[in-house]
Amino acid sequence: MIEVEGLSKSYRVPLRPEGRFALVRSLWSREAREVRAVEDISFRVAQGERVGFLGPNGAGKTTTLKMLAGLLEPSAGRVRVLGHRPQDRDPRYLSQITLVMGQKQQLLWDLPPRDTFALNVAMYDLPRAQARDTLDELVEMLQLAPLLQRPVRNLSLGERMKCELAAALLHRPRVLFLDEPTIGLDVEMQAQVRTFIRGINARFGATVLLTSHAMADIAALTPRLLLIDGGRLRFDGPMAELTRSLAPERQVRVRGERAALLPVLAPLGFVEEPDGMRADVPVARVNELLGAVLARMPGADVRVEDVPLEEVLRRAFRGEAGAPA
Amino acid sequence: MRVLRAWPVLLRVAWAEMFAYRAEMVVWILGTSLPLVMLALWDAAAESGALAGFTAGEVARYFTAVLVVRQLTAIWLAWEFDHDVRTGALSPQLLRPMHPLWWRAAETLAAVPWRVVVLVPLLGALGAWRPEAVAPPDVATCGVFALSLALAWLVGWCVQVCFGCLAFWFEQALGAWQAWFFAWGLLSGYLVPLALMPPSLRDVAAWLPFYATLGAPVDLLLGHADPWGTLARQGAWAIVLAAVASAAWRAGMRRYGAVGA
Repeated sequence: MIEVEGLSKSYRVPLRPEGRFALVRSLWSREAREVRAVEDISFRVAQGERVGFLGPNGAGKTTTLKMLAGLLEPSAGRVRVLGHRPQDRDPRYLSQITLVMGQKQQLLWDLPPRDTFALNVAMYDLPRAQARDTLDELVEMLQLAPLLQRPVRNLSLGERMKCELAAALLHRPRVLFLDEPTIGLDVEMQAQVRTFIRGINARFGATVLLTSHAMADIAALTPRLLLIDGGRLRFDGPMAELTRSLAPERQVRVRGERAALLPVLAPLGFVEEPDGMRADVPVARVNELLGAVLARMPGADVRVEDVPLEEVLRRAFRGEAGAPA
Repeated sequence: MRVLRAWPVLLRVAWAEMFAYRAEMVVWILGTSLPLVMLALWDAAAESGALAGFTAGEVARYFTAVLVVRQLTAIWLAWEFDHDVRTGALSPQLLRPMHPLWWRAAETLAAVPWRVVVLVPLLGALGAWRPEAVAPPDVATCGVFALSLALAWLVGWCVQVCFGCLAFWFEQALGAWQAWFFAWGLLSGYLVPLALMPPSLRDVAAWLPFYATLGAPVDLLLGHADPWGTLARQGAWAIVLAAVASAAWRAGMRRYGAVGA
């Protein structure tokens, strides 16, 4: 389905030097710096998989996604998606994929979304009956009916993103590349988009490769993670494995008034939090700690949780000991 | 085949887009009505007898034809393309299984009815002022003119694709386009009929692509040029520039990405 071997992408960025005559000098000699956006990445994704592509800003996530979608030509390495070389941008390939970019839009700004849909039906050469059925389905799933007649410029960000998704999925792509599809959306809208993406994956068996800074997206959508940092792949595996490897401890949280908790829990190693106190302990010590807490504070509001994904990723990107390379 | 099947929808949606921009459209159209100003200037010169062999009526016919050709072949692709490349707005267009230039072509052609709507009253007013300005040509001339007009559009389109592609390499690609536009104004027959230029300059200008985009159909409409020779030169420019545009596009695609894909 998706095969990536030794994929690299570097490009030259012009530098604007400082100094009194730098601008004049740059007329005949322009300095440039080579940026290695992606370096020697390899992975495979099977049909129907949902994979999260994670990394800090500038890590190379979007560059990789664009190479997979055929927008960028790799500097080195080999990519095959659905048996095609993406950079050939063969119409038969483009008819089977989609790339949704949260920060770029394909909707025609001054026209209602239905005009972009009509344009896509024509450009993808979709049979009318199939296009009508798919659109009806998308309109229902995304609750687009009230939006279809309004110019895109009059839609809210969330409404526009839902219409973007519909436009990107009208041709029933087999592979969905999603680059921050929930960026800028409110919590409710993010949840709707996540539910929708899961539904598309379940109903049509579409493969999903997603980048996001919203950990909730990752936690809800992608059982498998690809961690990329500095252009290199740092981890490829299930989320649980990453958590076990980087954050094997559990977080024991006790909620309550600071004044009441502090003298009792501080000696047990708890630290303050906004709504209570917390201790990070190895799994083997959890029962012992719980016993100690409840013995001192019977009826305390105690919870035991995994380390949040945000913290796991912070550790991964800091390159902490135990981080899988 | 895919393009042919899609074409009616592309035109319909592009027409809807032009309709949404109707106020701007009228302003843009009036902005390309410089031939009316040139007509007023050259008319005064012709009336004073300063233009040997060019009567006031011929001046009116010439610049009326320039106005028509300019309106029907107006293209703004270079600006759109430059913007799309620099901002990355080209990316969503590249993801569709149809070349983005087909949509841009539909947008350009969808503006033609608007231009006709503005042209008709202008031609009516010109006809009332100088009836010979709008004297209808014979059928054969109309046929040659239509063919020449199509080639002028194609040559102008390919030129703008070439200049638009410069955005793949340069941040200020439109500067080069402005230089071209300046030369075009002088050598296409837009500001000065080639017939009024010194013979040596006129002979050179008639072979250049500037003339192929405007002066050629104008002179053919007025019966001032050899039809087959003029059409052949236009056709040759169309082929050469289409090849250059195609090569520039392919090279630009390999380059795309360092500039905001």
